[in-house]
Formats: sequence, C-alpha cells, structure tokens
Amino acid sequence: MDALEDYVWPRATSELMLLPVTGLECVGDRLLAGEGPDVLVYSLDFGGHLRMMKRVQNLLGHYLIHGFRVRPEPNGDLDTEAMVAVFGSKGLRIVKVSWGQGHFRELWRSGLWNMSDWIWDARWLEGNVALALGHNSVVLYDPVVGCLLQDVPCTDRCTLSSACLIGDTWKELTIVAGAVSNQLLVWYPAAALADSKPVAPDRRVSGHVGVIFSMSYLESKGLLATASEDRSVRIWKVGDLRVPGGRVQNIGHCFGHSSRVWQVKLLENYLISAGEDCVCLVWSHEGEILQAFRGHQGRGIRAIAAHERQAWVITGGDDSGIRLWHLVGRGYPGSGVSALCFKSRSRPGTLKAVTLAGSWRLLAVTDTGALYLYDLEVKCWEQLLEDKHFQSYCLLEAAPGPEGFGLCAMANGEGCVKVVPINTPSAAVDQTLFPGKVHSLSWALRGYEELLLLASGPGGVVACLEISAAPSGKAIFVKERCRYLLPPSKQRWHTCSAFLPPGDFLVCGDRRGSVLLFPSRPGLLKDPGVEGKAGAGTGALGAGSGNGGNALAGWGPVSTLPSLHGKQGVTSVTCHGGYVYTTGRDGTYYQLFVRGGQLQPVLRQKSCRGMNWVAGLRMVPDGGMVILGFHANEFVVWSPRSHEKLHIINCGGGHRSWAFSDTEAAMAFAYLKDGDVMLYRALGGCTRPHVILREGLHGREITCVRRVGTITLGPEFGVPSFMEPDYLEPGSEGPGLIDIVITCSEDTTVCVLALPTTTGSAHALTAVCNHISSVRAVAVWGIGSPGGPQDPRPGLTARVVSAGGRAEMHCFSIMVTPDPSTPSRLACHVMHLASHRLDEYWHRQRNRHRMIKVDPETRYMSLAVCEFDRPGLGPLVAAACSDGAVRLFLLQDSGQLLQLFAETFHHKRCVLKVHSFTHEAPNQRRRLLLCSAATDGNLAFWDITTVLDRGSTALEPPVDPGLPYRLGTPSLTLQAHSCGVNSLHTLPTREGHHLVASGSEDGSLHVFVLAVEMPELEEAVGEAELVPQLRVLEEYSVPCAHAAHVTGLKILSPSLMVSASIDQRLTFWRLGHGEPTFMNSTVYHVPDAADMDCWPVSPEFGHRCALGGQGLEVYNWYD
Amino acid sequence: MGRTSKDKRDVYYRLAKENGWRARSAFKLLQLDEEFQLFQGVTRAVDLCAAPGSWSQVLSQKIGGQGSGHVVAVDLQAMAPLPGVLQIQGDITQLSTAKEIIQHFEGSPADLVVCDGAPDVTGLHDVDEYMQAQLLLAALNIATHVLKPGGCFVAKIFRGRDVTLLYSQLRVFFSSVLCAKPRSSRNSSIEAFAVCQGYDPPEGFMPDLTKPLLDHSYDPDFNQLDGPTRVIVPFVTCGDLSSYDSDRSYPLDLEDGSEYKYTPPTQPPISPPYQEACTLKKKGQLAKEPRSLRWL
Repeated sequence: MDALEDYVWPRATSELMLLPVTGLECVGDRLLAGEGPDVLVYSLDFGGHLRMMKRVQNLLGHYLIHGFRVRPEPNGDLDTEAMVAVFGSKGLRIVKVSWGQGHFRELWRSGLWNMSDWIWDARWLEGNVALALGHNSVVLYDPVVGCLLQDVPCTDRCTLSSACLIGDTWKELTIVAGAVSNQLLVWYPAAALADSKPVAPDRRVSGHVGVIFSMSYLESKGLLATASEDRSVRIWKVGDLRVPGGRVQNIGHCFGHSSRVWQVKLLENYLISAGEDCVCLVWSHEGEILQAFRGHQGRGIRAIAAHERQAWVITGGDDSGIRLWHLVGRGYPGSGVSALCFKSRSRPGTLKAVTLAGSWRLLAVTDTGALYLYDLEVKCWEQLLEDKHFQSYCLLEAAPGPEGFGLCAMANGEGCVKVVPINTPSAAVDQTLFPGKVHSLSWALRGYEELLLLASGPGGVVACLEISAAPSGKAIFVKERCRYLLPPSKQRWHTCSAFLPPGDFLVCGDRRGSVLLFPSRPGLLKDPGVEGKAGAGTGALGAGSGNGGNALAGWGPVSTLPSLHGKQGVTSVTCHGGYVYTTGRDGTYYQLFVRGGQLQPVLRQKSCRGMNWVAGLRMVPDGGMVILGFHANEFVVWSPRSHEKLHIINCGGGHRSWAFSDTEAAMAFAYLKDGDVMLYRALGGCTRPHVILREGLHGREITCVRRVGTITLGPEFGVPSFMEPDYLEPGSEGPGLIDIVITCSEDTTVCVLALPTTTGSAHALTAVCNHISSVRAVAVWGIGSPGGPQDPRPGLTARVVSAGGRAEMHCFSIMVTPDPSTPSRLACHVMHLASHRLDEYWHRQRNRHRMIKVDPETRYMSLAVCEFDRPGLGPLVAAACSDGAVRLFLLQDSGQLLQLFAETFHHKRCVLKVHSFTHEAPNQRRRLLLCSAATDGNLAFWDITTVLDRGSTALEPPVDPGLPYRLGTPSLTLQAHSCGVNSLHTLPTREGHHLVASGSEDGSLHVFVLAVEMPELEEAVGEAELVPQLRVLEEYSVPCAHAAHVTGLKILSPSLMVSASIDQRLTFWRLGHGEPTFMNSTVYHVPDAADMDCWPVSPEFGHRCALGGQGLEVYNWYD
Repeated sequence: MGRTSKDKRDVYYRLAKENGWRARSAFKLLQLDEEFQLFQGVTRAVDLCAAPGSWSQVLSQKIGGQGSGHVVAVDLQAMAPLPGVLQIQGDITQLSTAKEIIQHFEGSPADLVVCDGAPDVTGLHDVDEYMQAQLLLAALNIATHVLKPGGCFVAKIFRGRDVTLLYSQLRVFFSSVLCAKPRSSRNSSIEAFAVCQGYDPPEGFMPDLTKPLLDHSYDPDFNQLDGPTRVIVPFVTCGDLSSYDSDRSYPLDLEDGSEYKYTPPTQPPISPPYQEACTLKKKGQLAKEPRSLRWL
C-alpha cells in the first residue's frame, strides 16, 4: 500500500552526536564514556597512546546514559569480556562486550527496560541489578529477562537528587539517599517484612545546606563523600554502612569549588571532585587540595572516572570533551622555583637585569656594570666582565637560537651598545650609537645566516647592527647596517623584532602598540616607489630631514598597523607557517600576514580570562602554540588549544626583569626577586602530559548551525578516521566527502567543523573568538574554491558574517584546504575582515549629542544575506534585532567594510527571524525579498531589490543626516501565529510562486503559498518603478504540530517538509495536498535545539541534517 | 556592564522592581488571570513553592483584599513575610502540610492552587525536566487533597521532550487542560504554564500523599513516543499585544514618558545554599591550591 510506504519514508537516522559526557567508567584498561544513548569505548593501553575503539550506538533509546556498572567477575577477568549495565533516566540495558586483542565486539544486548521512575544508582547483586529510584525506593531487577523481582519503598517518599547503593547481596544491600531536604537517608531494603511494605530510614544525616548531587563510598576505609549545591564536599566517617545504627561523623568540610559540585569520587588515597566551575580538584582525605585540573569549557564537568593503577583521572564535560589527567607527581613537571644565591661578598652590587641564553645559561648584570654568567649544569656564578660605563642603567638581552648563539648584548644610558661573546668575553665589541639613552634592545635571527641587533635610541631612531663572527670564532664583528625611524609617539621605541621569511623584511613592534614592517636591507632598495612609500610612512618627522630614504634620519616602515595592541605596547613578534603572530599588553594576540608588502591582520585572539599582559608566544613541537603572559602576580604558560595553564609561576608580576627560554628538552623562566635570581625549570618544554581524549566543542549552547559546503578528498589523503580500519564500513575507503559546517554559540565563539560522511566523527577545524558576547546567528555567502572555479584541487572558501549580543557583528572569510598532517586531513584559515557595533557607530558620529544612543544591549537574533545580481554591489546583511528593528547592513570592498545602511522599526517587538529569497520570472528583473518575523507571530515581507539603486523609492531618507535610511512599509504582513516565530523557510514552486513555512513557540506550523505578481505595464503611472504585489494564495495551519517551540524548519521539496522542535522530535510533513500531514517523526537527543540545517549530500547518500542546541547531532536520510 | 544593563535587557525585571513585586514572575500570573479570570469567585487560594513570594503578592492583592479571602503560601525555604498571606514553611509532599492548609481554610477546600516552583536547573536537560515534572506532580498530589471539585490548578511546566506525559497525567484530574504562556515569559524560555480547570478526579480516586504520583509513560495507543498521536494540549498566549515584549530590549526611558530611575531589587534571596562558600571566598578562606610545588 502506498500509504504504508509513505509512513516509513524518509526515515532519519542518527549518525553523529556531540553531547555532554554524562557517564565515565574505567574497566580494566578501557574507558567507557556515555554520550547521549551511545557508548564510546577507548583503549588506554596502546603503547602509552590512547585511542577510540568503537562507538556502540543507541543503547538507551531516547534516554541519556548517566552511568555504567560493570558486573564483577568472580575470577576478576575483565580484560577480554565484560557485562555492563548501562542506565540513564528511566532506562536500563545490559550489554555484553568482548575486547580482547584490541578488537571490540558487542556479543549480546538485553532489551531496553523502562522503569517507573528515575534511576539514581544501580548495583549488580549476583546476576541481578538493584536500582535506586527517584522517589526513594529500591527495586531488584532481573536484567536478562526483564522482570521486577522486588520493589521496596522507603516510608519517606521524598524526591531524591542522588543515591548510592552498597553491598553485594540483597540481604546486605544499603541505600544512602540524598533527599531534597538536603539530608542523607540510610535504609535497608531487605528489612521489608513483606513485599512492597515501606521501610523506615535507619539514619538521617544533616549537614549540607544544598541538594546533594553525588556520593561515593570507600568500603576499605569506611568513608563516604558527598558533593552538594552548597559548593562544598563533605567527608563522613561512616564505618561499615551495611551495619545498621552506626555512627556518622563529619570529618571534613571541603570548600574549594567556586560553583556547584556535580561529582565526587573517593579513591584509596584521594578524593576527586568536579563541578560547574569546570575544575576537577584532587583532595587528600584530610581535605587538602593537592591538584587542580582546569581545561574544560562551559557549564561544567559532568562525569569523572579514575584508573587507580595508572593514577589517572578522566573527566567528561558539558563541552563533550574527555580529558585524562595524571593524579600524582607528574601534574606540574616543573622542579619548582629555586633561588640561584647570587648575593655574596665576592659579588658586590645589586642585580638589575637577567636574561637566558638557551635553556642552561643565565646572564645577569649588576648596578656596578658587572656581567655574570650562571651555568645551570655546573651551578655556579662566574663574572664575565665589568664596565663602569654600564653602571646604574643597563639593558641586557641574549641572542635567540637554541643556545643563545653564544652572544649577548648590553646597552647603557649614553647610547653605547656592547656585544659580548659569552665564551670569550674579552672579545666584546663596543659601539656608541646615540648621543642619549638606549631605550630598548632586541635581536632578529634568520636561520644561522643572519643575526641582527636592533637598538632604539632617542627620537625613535632604531639602529640595526649586523653581527658576524670570524671563522676562528675568537672575534666578532659589529657593523651598523642602517637606521630605522619609528612613528612619533610619547614613548618612541621598539620592543621586539623578527625576520619575516624569507628574510627581506623585519617585523617590529613598538611601545605604542603598533606593528611595523621594515626592509631588512633598505640600502639595496632602489625602487623609488618603495622609497616614496617609506617617506610617506615617516612623514615630516623629527631627526631633521624630510628627504625620503635619508640613511642618517632613518628608514620609515613600508607598512604599519598603528596601535594594533593599544597604548600598552607590543610585547613580541613571531613568524611561523606563513603568518606573523604578535602579542601585546592588551591581553590579545594577533595573527597577521604580509600580502603585497603590506601587513594585514588576519585574526585577533584573546588569551585566557584575566591575563591582560600577554608577553610572548611559542610554537610547540606538536604544531600548536602556547601563550606566555602575566596573570596578576603569576607568570603563566597557557595553551589556547586545551585552555589549560601549563605552568604557573608565582613571580610577583611582569614589572621586573625576567627571561624565558624553551627547547624541546626543557623550559626555563628566570626573574629577579629580593636581589636574587629566581629560576623555574621544567623538563619536557612547555607541554604537560595530560591528554585530550576528545576535544570539546562549544562550552555552552549552540545557537545556530550553517552548512558551508562539501570537500571531496581523494583516497590519497587517507581515511580521516581515528577508528581502526576493520571497523569501518565497506565502501568508505573511497574519496571522502566532508561537509564543512559553521556553528556559533553562547560561549562567544564561532566554530568551523568538518563532518566526514564516512566515519561518524566531527573535527573542529578552528574557532573564531572575536565576539564579546554570545553569538546568535551566522550567515554564509560567496562560497567558492581557493583557486577559482577552474581549479580542480579540493578546497573551499566562503565569507561568513556572525552576530549576537551587545549589538556586535563580525565578518570574516574562511578557506579550507587539504592538509595531510592533521587528523581531519583539513586545515582552515580564517581571516577577519570587518566588524561593527551599534554603539561604536554612535560614538563615531560628529553630532552624537543630538542623537539617541543606540542601546548596546540590543541582541541580533538572526541574519540573512541578500546578494545582488549586479557584480561589485553588496551584499546586504539583514539582521533581526531585539530592540524591534530589522537592520540592513551593507558589506563593501569584498567584506572589508561593514556599514549600517537602513533600518525599520515596523515590528515594534523583538524580531526573531529574518530570511531572504529571490523571485525570478522570465523577462523580469530578479526580485530580492526579505521576510522578517517577530515575537507577536507577525510576518512582514519587504522588496529590497532596488534599495541600492540611486533614487530608489524603497527607502525613505533619514530623519537626521547621521542616521541610516528607513525602510518603507512592508509589501505584505501576515499574522501567522499567536506568539513568537522561531523558524522560517521558503522554497520556490514550479508554478513560479513561493512556499513559505514558519514554526512558532506554540508548537504550530504555518504554511502558505505566496504569489509575487508584477503589475501590468499599462498600470504603471509615469516613471514610477514597478513594485510587485505580494498575495497569499493558499494558507494552512497545523496548531499542535509539536509540543514546544518549532526551532528548525526546512522545506525540502514542494511535497516534503521537515521540522525540529525543543520537544526533541524531528518530524517529516507531506505538503501539497491541502493541509500538511504528518509522515513520521524521530526522537533526537539534543536538548533545547535552537537551529537546524539540512542539505542534500549526493544522490546516493540523500540528505544530512545538523541539529544544534545543547550539543550537536547529525542525522541523515535517503531520498 | 553596569547595574542598569539588566534593566535594559529585561523590561519586566525592571517593571517588577519599580512596582514593588518581588520577582518579574508576578506579571506572568497577572497575565494568566487576564486571559482565564483565574481569581473570579476565588476566596481561598494556595501558593505552592511560593518563595520569593511574587505570586503570593499578586494573590493577596487580588483575593486578600476582598475581606473574606485567604491566601496560604507554602515553601520549603524561609520567605520574607507578606501582609495578608499565611506562610507555612513545609514540604508539599507531607500530609501534615495539606492538613495545615485545610485547617487554615477552616475545613473548606481551596478554590485555586498555583505553583510557580522550579528546581535550580543543573543544565542537564533530562534531569531538569524530570525534576520539574516531579515538582508539578507533587503539587498536583497535594492539590488533590486541598482543591475543591471544579477548582483550578495552575503550575509551571518545562516544555521539553516528555511534556506530553504530564499533559496526559493532568487530563486524568481536570476537565480542561491548557498550556498557556504569558507574554512576560520569554520566547527563549521553555517554561509555560499548565492551566487546569474543573477539578474532577477519576471515580474512586483516593488522595494519598504517602505515595508519589509518578509520571505516565508513553502509550502506543494515545500518547506515542514518535508517532502522530500525542497528547498536545491547546496553546494559549496570554496578555495582549500592547503589553511589553519580554524579549525586546527597551531604552531606559520608556515611551510612556516616565523618567528612568534605578531601583534596587525588592527582595534579595534569603540564605542561599552558596552563602557559606561566598563568605569563605570573601575572607580568602577557601582551600588553597598548590602553585609551584617545592620552594627550594
């Protein structure tokens, strides 16, 4: 029958999930992780590496996994096989797995057993499972057949927030229940005289002033630990809980978390707790904090597990990341801080400056002008030289390079620079450069070929010295190559320098926060064009001469990014992988590149919260980078990849002489304190041995999902998979289709994701962190390939605009190209193009005192890009704004200029959605239509085809010259719903009309056919422009389509529509036969779904659909 | 962000402070009443999970003013006293609480039971939805003891995955169940209110507080998990379109010409669970983390 077939087609199946990790358990050398209804199995024994073995799908149906209980084996052999009880919400299932020799197999699974109430804890009792249920009752369940054996309630049927079952037989079974009254109730189910007769609690224990979220019992020591809403962990001495009437004594009350504590676990010698503050704390049983693990993002750590033999702690977060930490010893690999005992009668004077030459030689200079060397291996001080010209004021910098090149430079207040070979200090070379004080010194090294020393003197003059060594190595030569001139400012000196590969230019940062580009051999430049530019750069500056290219006055920069890092200055420049990275005391680091001889900012990134003094940046061997900086009174080495502080050194702050050096073998940090040199060293460089088993995605809710395009990688790129090949489905070895999807989130980031069609994995390629508030919407346009349309190489480019809270909007471009060195086989390059903030716009207006300041609390709710068919024009970005406006922004200069162009307050209520579409009809101009929808259920349609035309009637001139244009009255308004519209989509029909569908907060759907009719030519009066008439042809409403907000809606074809709602149903609707009719629906696992995007993949594959909310889930179906 | 930023983002938060309501939720009850005339003929009303007391404020103003009206507010937590409202600090799952309510009404059952309680959300959606459902069912359970036949019950619901199970449970006890959302409740929030009118327990139903009411499970016949047949009750939006939009950000000077003046919150929370932790943090007495391991 047709009808029957229609009912099952199309059927959505889940292929990928990124949800909070809510269950973790170590079984032998495996780790089980619960994510939604799936179990991820990791192997922890593979030669020190950790890898994912398998995703066991859909164990708990529409429930989420909250825990695992492995059946204890009498012979203790869990290395090859295990029987696991998986539970969550009201569901329980038993699964038998084998995992010998690195192969995973699911041997058997029971039915999915539904309990009458929430399961808080489960425990194996000789082949049966005891369950602690939501209203303080305990049931004994036969999980193989699925039947209830015992059901014993407590006399106090309060709602529980956690429970813990103790004992190995029904007879000795003990339950500790955490009640809403914040009490612990201890009772014995076997005390029931008859079946189902309520049992009174044996003991009630008070102490916490908030709900108890987690408990852990350590039988060997008779301890119980509880974690609570009151942000504390309590340790109780309980003895053997299986014995009634025992004394319960609170022996520890641990305050250390800054938020609610979700999880607690007692180990033989430790107590582990983790909570909403994303910190996992390791305590002693005496309540002392031993370690703190930080790195998870977002709303907290939801699950913890421990591998006691290996001393590992594993945490799972709300960000869907899983991390492994070392419990003891190896936490901070540093040997700690040691004082180098400089003070001695034989060494007069006070230390003024310190520097590190490589990681094992330290140099320091005193106020008597004496230079000392400390060898970290020999551990003794040695005086290299003494020069009284370098008394009181002396700068000291060691040359870069693995062992500091064996050189260091000193500079004094009389304009003299001394270059000292460390091994033969007698061969030091002095050179007087300036009539006044040398403000700063920095080195620049190009391979082993070219070494420059830059010294800033008075008036912004930077002398560039070329350093070379005699072949004998006994003598060095210092030759002044040229002078540069910095842009004028109060503190006019440079702070850092580096060669830009291949070496024709130097990148410098200055105290004013500007980044400058200088030719490294300006004398060779004979091109007057460049000279002219250099002259323009210097302008009519000091140093007496206005002649461009005057070698004495100094060469100006060929390119400048003025005040990039603000008034506090640039702190470092690093060139790596085709990019320039700069750091500054504004708490940010920039990625730049040089194109056409000009510096261009690519991306601005912020370091960790509170670190407002970024001091440097280092590339680490695994391809990532670490950020150095000062956080209050600490020096911090921070990893942006793992959001982890790798090293923390309590040095007292950055306003003192300090030095940092790192090699693969060790890192060192030296600073002056109390007249002595303090040294922190850590073996293994900047890395820390913690492992990220799985990268987290967004820390908070995903607000918008947009698919950009697909990249097809040939087989030469290998299978982008972290699973074993034998678990891959046949046919997946061929060219891999990888969908590129952009998500944005309340965590203020925009993320570019790669979703391969074959492996059920997701890779976060890059994150853009420019927003200061939550990001609510992204829109994508201009999708192409990196080498143009003719280029057959795989890759993808696109332009993206993102917007969100605080009326902030950013525009950037992305380029995704193949990169065999990454796990995803892809690399994503992001370039920031433009940004816009409404209140900033106001600040820039000249007549702002006469204008109402636009409220910076305005949120952008939704974005739509309107592309014009005329080249070089636009596009327009339409934004739905919470202050009741629909605003049109004009993007010009291929995205580099973003301006508010027009606005309308037609809706007078918070506008929730905007959607743009085009109407094309033969012999007519292509019409560009915009639809907006607000919290009152009203839809408005606007024709914006002509808004950019000169003298267009679609816009009304602004009331005030400083204000944007006003969009006229809408072409059509329609009351589609009684309350807010949360989803909107259109599709052109074969008849030349448009299907418009909207979904609302009340769970209803509204579908209608919209006709766009051009008036006949004769009707047009005079020269007035033809304006199309919009008319509703057919209109249907489905009132109770969903039980909650319809947040995702897509018309796939004129006969098929798919909707998604917060009630977690993905529903297909048949269109075209009058009212939309229900076809089928699937329960999905992402709570609070905020957005959905669907796209066709290929004829064989069908459609894919990504749902974003508190997590991300990808579905697919065959067409 | 200054102290006014929340006033800009949330007009009802600001209006609540300016009108002396303890929480913005007062407007939700007022708008529900506008739509359903909840207070018509009501002389005895119970406010369950009353803290911080904004709904009790509304009840006492609308009912308590009529002279014969009685309002009882029940909450586990202490609540600042309100004139015209009798407070019971007790557990709504206890029979003694139900008896105390009836006692205060001099033996007569209540005309209206309202419950605006919500658990402190944990962020784990399934747990939060379950906890909210249990709170509603506990409120329903005590309502079966104190509500007169034909009486009305209004409770907050989270419209999540399993909300249809609650609807089917409520339909057992009431002749009319509607889902209502006041305009003062935000679009972005999953909260709504179940407005149940005409209390009519099934024949032979014996109120029993010793057993919790458990939520229904999916039924292949009339409330399917993923089929077309689901118990979705009609949805009503309350409050007229001219009322303020809770999602909209308003300028500080509203259109009615009134000049903005910052108002501090009416009633700050009384002894929150995290109080001790905050005090310790202020004094710098939280357990210290080790920094550099050894000082040599």
